[in-house]
Amino acid sequence: MATLAERRSLEPWQDPKAVPYLRIDRVTKKFGDVYAVDDVSLEIFQGEFFSLLGSSGCGKSTLLRMLAGLEYPSAGRIYIDGVDVTDVPAYSRPVNMMFQSYALFPHMSVEQNVEFGLKQDRMPRRERGERVGEMLDLLKITELRKRRPDQLSGGQRQRVALARSLAKHPKLLLLDEPLGALDKRLRENTQFELVNLQERLGITFVTVTHDQEEAMTMSTRIAVMDAGQIMQVDTPTAIYEFPTCRLVAEFIGSINLFEGKVVATEGNQVLVETRVGRPMRMRAFHPMVLGTPVTVAVRPEKMRLCADFRDDGVNQLKGRVEDIAYLGDVSIYRIRVGDGALVEMTLTNVQPRTEQALTWEQEVAIEWSPTSGVVLTE
Amino acid sequence: MPAPLPSASVRHRRMSRLVNIGIPYLWLGLFFLLPFAIVLQISLAEPALAQPPYTALWQWVDEGLLRIEINLRNFMMVAQDDLYLSALLNSLQVAVICTLLCLLLGYPMAYAIATAPERWRITLLMLIVLPFWTSFLIRVYAWIGILKPNGLLNDALIWLGLIDTPLAILHTQTAVYIGVVYSYLPFMILPLYANLTRLDPSLLEAAADLGCRPMRAFLRVTLPLSMAGIVAGSMLVFIPVVGEFVIPDLLGGPESLMVGKLLWSEFFSNKDWPLASALAILLLALLVVPFVMMQRLQQRMEGSRP
Amino acid sequence: MRRRRWPLLTLLAFGYAFLYVPILLLIIYSFNESRLVTVWTGFSTKWYGELLRNRQLLDAAWLSVRIAAVNATLAVVLGTLAANALVRHRNFRGRTGFELLLTAPLVMPDVIIGLSLLLLFVAMQQTIGWPGGRGFTTITIAHVTFSMAYVAVVVRARLSQMDRSLEEAAMDLGARPLRVYLTITLPLIAPALFSGWLLAFTLSLDDLVIASFVAGPGSTTLPMVIYSSVRMGVSPQINALATIIVAVVTLAVVIAGILMRRGREVR
Repeated sequence: MATLAERRSLEPWQDPKAVPYLRIDRVTKKFGDVYAVDDVSLEIFQGEFFSLLGSSGCGKSTLLRMLAGLEYPSAGRIYIDGVDVTDVPAYSRPVNMMFQSYALFPHMSVEQNVEFGLKQDRMPRRERGERVGEMLDLLKITELRKRRPDQLSGGQRQRVALARSLAKHPKLLLLDEPLGALDKRLRENTQFELVNLQERLGITFVTVTHDQEEAMTMSTRIAVMDAGQIMQVDTPTAIYEFPTCRLVAEFIGSINLFEGKVVATEGNQVLVETRVGRPMRMRAFHPMVLGTPVTVAVRPEKMRLCADFRDDGVNQLKGRVEDIAYLGDVSIYRIRVGDGALVEMTLTNVQPRTEQALTWEQEVAIEWSPTSGVVLTE
Repeated sequence: MPAPLPSASVRHRRMSRLVNIGIPYLWLGLFFLLPFAIVLQISLAEPALAQPPYTALWQWVDEGLLRIEINLRNFMMVAQDDLYLSALLNSLQVAVICTLLCLLLGYPMAYAIATAPERWRITLLMLIVLPFWTSFLIRVYAWIGILKPNGLLNDALIWLGLIDTPLAILHTQTAVYIGVVYSYLPFMILPLYANLTRLDPSLLEAAADLGCRPMRAFLRVTLPLSMAGIVAGSMLVFIPVVGEFVIPDLLGGPESLMVGKLLWSEFFSNKDWPLASALAILLLALLVVPFVMMQRLQQRMEGSRP
Repeated sequence: MRRRRWPLLTLLAFGYAFLYVPILLLIIYSFNESRLVTVWTGFSTKWYGELLRNRQLLDAAWLSVRIAAVNATLAVVLGTLAANALVRHRNFRGRTGFELLLTAPLVMPDVIIGLSLLLLFVAMQQTIGWPGGRGFTTITIAHVTFSMAYVAVVVRARLSQMDRSLEEAAMDLGARPLRVYLTITLPLIAPALFSGWLLAFTLSLDDLVIASFVAGPGSTTLPMVIYSSVRMGVSPQINALATIIVAVVTLAVVIAGILMRRGREVR
């Protein structure tokens, strides 16, 4: 995956001189008294695969629809390629969208569906035919060209919808839950295909999804949204490893949270006193004032069994195994520690389950390293 | 502070509003609402030997002197003459009884169709709607041949030995009941069916699971939940039947005088336009309450739908 | 809940018999030779022949069909506009009044509509001189007024079922609103427009009371001829006419049903 590495290494959002392709400037959308999107600003660069991630009702779809021109912001501006398109209606925007329901026109064949957008642009008939052929080829649906949408399977419909939205060669493609209507197995294959397609065409993709796994595998960057606001924008790795707030930490994967306050700072590390009893020493990315209330966040797979438990050790906990969830590749252990809190630990099942060391009610000691978690201040 | 909407979208929306709301509103205002004002005006006039046959409500007598004559004669006549009152009461009676009969026959039918196997439903429903599409007048007419003294019903009953002499059914109140139920049954069944098919069958399964016997489950679950359909169907039958003309005219007799028929004869036979207008106003006043009730219910149902 | 369905099914069968026996009898006796409708003397199609030679009735039928066709077309246009208003413009000032005005003609007794429209036409003639006489135009206007409400109900149901994202997709692909309506919305609600047209057509063809009020001396519609003939007593010609109407309507409804089923599958 050299291309992937190359793309990652580019990371235009790190370059202060880069000009964003899509700029969302303090956009707000109100429905009655409800803020669906609340003062959101974003910059998305050419060639990105950008995901808006959040639970339903967080405003991600409304934001996408505003980019398409299907809703108009109550306040704020939207710029595409430097042009203010806030007031431009959907039919005049250089943007196309793939709908969650696919919205294939039921009274038209696959071919006519793909051709629809080209016809609106009054493209000459011959050119139109060529472009349609090219699109059907690209998505490998040429043999379906005469079929009607109701004669297609879910996966085929998705391809037709994609072909239709790509036919006009948009610079920016919006995808509303592009894989939401597919079953699990099909979804996994399609994820990779979608990424390949995007890399090949060099089009900027903005997708909306509630599925964190989907967002993690496909995106260059993810914006996590909640209650109409953006909580964090970052690469999938950063979102997972270094969440900046509890909400993001809890939304993606599972995580152990220990509340406490800063009692000492040592270089770029802080010592945190928590309710669990033992002090924790963690790496901090910015200086912290003594006494600040913080939360130490450590993911279950960063926990490991502790060989030498010491009474004065840091980042060590002792407890009793209460639950074991066997998932095949890994097992999740829920361990009741000192003050009654439950801590989750994931261990890879290197040995067959029957030969594993840990069992219910067993006393265990666990530990983690200062660099395998984050300290959250909010 | 909502920002001003973009101009293209605003223009389109304004245009769409103007066309879609404006044109039908204008038509209905001109040809449905305005006429009522004129009816009200003429109900306060007096009949006259003129063209048109009523007096004007206002007149410019002199420079700057406007004479308005409001004549309550028509309403007084209706209030004092037993004929009109009994016709109004009889209309209400026919409407109430026929609504109940339609409900009694229509509810089980709607229920049976709604619970029939899916592939049968459309056909069964189509069979309910089909007669509604054929001429109403001719369908009422069919009953004359059936109900008259030497008609098919009497012939059949005599042939079966159930009666010796023909029953007098035609030109009685009974004939009106039969004709109304026959003509208005589809109006009862359709809203009931629409309501009953929306009912989640798992509700009944849940009731059964909780130990409710079928009859009780029907009374405690299905019936209350289909109340909206019952009210809608009942109003669709009740309101037009109160003013029905064709059925009492063709099937009814002298004792089954209804207000619609009375209005017709005041207008066409007696040429008393003001009195006919007064009757129309009274009829309208009578129907406002059930109509508003129906409308309220409809809006509530729309509101509750996702 | 399989058990004890037979009382319900018996009632259903009785209901259907109640609805259909009178029509069947009409059809059977239209082939009766005797003038006395209820005495069967032999098979004959002579009443059909006589019907076809009845000039007055044929003229009335032709007038009725013309009125019904114009009425249905106008009613579909107005009813569709009204349905658009109700489905697409969720909140506008006067919406309640609009809905009230649109529902009222569905239940309003015919005598009231007929009388009030006649009085309107008379008043208009007095003040602005239009309509000059009463006949085709006035009957058509009266019929449109109540049948557009029926069309609105049918089209509204279809329109509110329609997936809005289809129109949004068309707009996203570059189609302007009017084009979206013509290329996406209209084809998708076409079955409803068709059945609405058919409904308006039959409602008009069927109306006696309203037409009687607003018709002038020279314009007699089919129901008016049937009515005066029925008042004279039972007539085998009417039976023949009934048979023809039932046959035409059944055919139309069956075709409409098939089209609508296809439309549903397409959706």
